[in-house]
Amino acid sequence: MRNAYVDQFPAEAKVIKAAFWSSFLALAIGGSLGLLQALHRTDVLRIMEAPDYYTVLTAHGVLLAITFTIFFLVGIFTWGVTTSLDRGLVDLRFTWGWYAMMVVGTVLVGVSILGGVVDAIPMNADVLFTFYAPLQPHPAFYVGLVLFVVGTWLAGADWFRTWLAWRSDNPDERIPLPTFMALTTTLFWYLCTLGVALSILLLLLPWSLGIVDSVNPLLTRTLFWYFGHAVVYFWLMPAYMLWYVMLPKLSGGKLFSDPLARVVFVLFLLLSTPTGIHHQYLDPGIAEGYKFIAMTNTMFLLLPSLLTAFTVVASMEHGARQRGGTGYLGWLKALPWRDPVFTGMALAGLMFAAAGFSGMINAGMNINYLVHNTWWIVGHFHLTVGTAVALTFMAAAYWFIPQVTGKELWNRSLGLVQVLVWFVGMTFMSNAMHRSGLFGVPRRTAEPQYENFAFEPAAGSMGEINAQVALGATLLTVSLALFLLNMVMTSLGGSSDEIPDNTYAETLSGPEDAPVVLDNLKLWTAIATVLVIFAYTLPLASIIDAGGLFGPGIDGFQLAIEAGPAFVLESVREVIA
Amino acid sequence: MASATETGETDQVREIGHEEYDPVGTAILITIYFLILVLLWVFMYFVEFLGNGPTVVGAVLTVVGLA
Ligand code: HEM
Ligand SMILES: [Cu+2]
Repeated sequence: MRNAYVDQFPAEAKVIKAAFWSSFLALAIGGSLGLLQALHRTDVLRIMEAPDYYTVLTAHGVLLAITFTIFFLVGIFTWGVTTSLDRGLVDLRFTWGWYAMMVVGTVLVGVSILGGVVDAIPMNADVLFTFYAPLQPHPAFYVGLVLFVVGTWLAGADWFRTWLAWRSDNPDERIPLPTFMALTTTLFWYLCTLGVALSILLLLLPWSLGIVDSVNPLLTRTLFWYFGHAVVYFWLMPAYMLWYVMLPKLSGGKLFSDPLARVVFVLFLLLSTPTGIHHQYLDPGIAEGYKFIAMTNTMFLLLPSLLTAFTVVASMEHGARQRGGTGYLGWLKALPWRDPVFTGMALAGLMFAAAGFSGMINAGMNINYLVHNTWWIVGHFHLTVGTAVALTFMAAAYWFIPQVTGKELWNRSLGLVQVLVWFVGMTFMSNAMHRSGLFGVPRRTAEPQYENFAFEPAAGSMGEINAQVALGATLLTVSLALFLLNMVMTSLGGSSDEIPDNTYAETLSGPEDAPVVLDNLKLWTAIATVLVIFAYTLPLASIIDAGGLFGPGIDGFQLAIEAGPAFVLESVREVIA
Repeated sequence: MASATETGETDQVREIGHEEYDPVGTAILITIYFLILVLLWVFMYFVEFLGNGPTVVGAVLTVVGLA
């Protein structure tokens, strides 16, 4: 008899399916806009005005980095919690409630961004996904963000109460690994989003509504990055979870070590948030000592990532050897490279390893000065969130969509082609972005072509680099289209009996080998909070001390409304005067 | 329990337990990765610093926010 997720948890499967489709929709729109940007910047094809570029870039950043990733991961965590606890969610109405809240938030944000290019919508939010003041969006943008985040908080509460219900039935058992991963991730998500929620509700929203007439840009920016680094782990932890609990099984083996996996997630809970200032190495209002603390914490974060590399690869090797692989490296040939789920995740992991290097460059205070705000950074995070996370999610969808629909994947070979094309496309695009950053090509710039100035690459030419970006972006978009085609066709298909059972990897070394203290979530949350207090109290105090809670008369700036030629003239006159 | 897995997938040819498994291939791969990182790190010095001159990080006063 078939025993897929949809057979075990039909009601939960519906929510997860809805979350996945919300995520795919964001991916489809956001990804297409990415192509538009790449072609515009490189001057291959310009079908929009330069100011519209920033509306498009805002939509791309928000829809991909926030909407696509988070809708997918709430689905993944819901799957992980219910599957590993072997019980359904406590109350499905509550579950649909948080899902609906996330949808409403997304619609508000989306419509306000869209207003930047559609005259009929009297709104705009050309603020990029970092929404730095004094760039000022319509209040609906902030309200939408808050609703979305509160939706995720309730999702976390849903997983917690399901776990608590389970615990009262199983008082002496260890927290199953996928649930442990979902809960630790939720905890640091609460910790880090608190900063940005306060920033929006107390400072930015009142300012956009005209209730207060100024903000302190350094303060809101620091509160943004208080959340902005941890959010990268919010994206990454579900991908890690899939690498830990799916990849070993797909490789035909077992997870090398459950205790190591727990240690890794605890370290992320502790260190995700007190590192945010590493995005502000160039902000003049923050003393270098605080930046140094953030750098130190960041370097410690290399540890759980290296532990993950080891544990996940060792689990794959275990599978390969059980499948008959031999030799020092010959076992690599015994891995199931024809399986798009496996290959997509493995390639995503490989790209993440490459991103490890550019991340080390970014993390070093002095070296960061050389790449800050250049296209190097954009190259870096298209390897991390744009591939390690996005490609893992797409590959996972080839397994999950059949699980939650009971329908067989439409075309496996096409799936394999799709993940390979993404890998190749991203190699081109990201490599060229990294290189152009080295000689100063700026990010977030619609038309980086200047009169009487030419960028001078140490090797190759600007034309060659632009060609690589355009080619890479095109391949990525093709890959995206193939992915969506496969998802749509799968959903249109009929129910199948051939769906594999809903399971995840067993362990070589199980939870019984892990110290019990690892499961003490209260303890780790307390330490994480203390670390955050250490890292942030003094910098925040000195920022407020220097600029005031509401800053020195900072007016909002709306790009779409004001950036006509008249405005430019006016600002030039102001500068001259 | 749902975690019971089907590693007994058709193409498994042997069972390797915790004691007998020695992830030597993984050790090799991680070592190679580490060497690449070191090489790139050295290369970084030539790309960034030789052409640009050193980036100065301030003295004690700027570190504690007094200057
Ligand atoms: C079809 C695939 C994609 C293409 C062609 C693409 C292209 C681009 C380009 C050209 C930029 C740089 C714009 C600039 O600096 O002026 C950019 C920025 C960005 N991309 Fe992508 N991208 C793709 C997929 C993704 C994915 C999957 C994610 C995340 C999951 C992502 C997240 C971002 C973010 C966060 C930014 C920065 C936005 C900002 O500066 O505010 N992209 N993308
Ligand atoms: Cu960061």
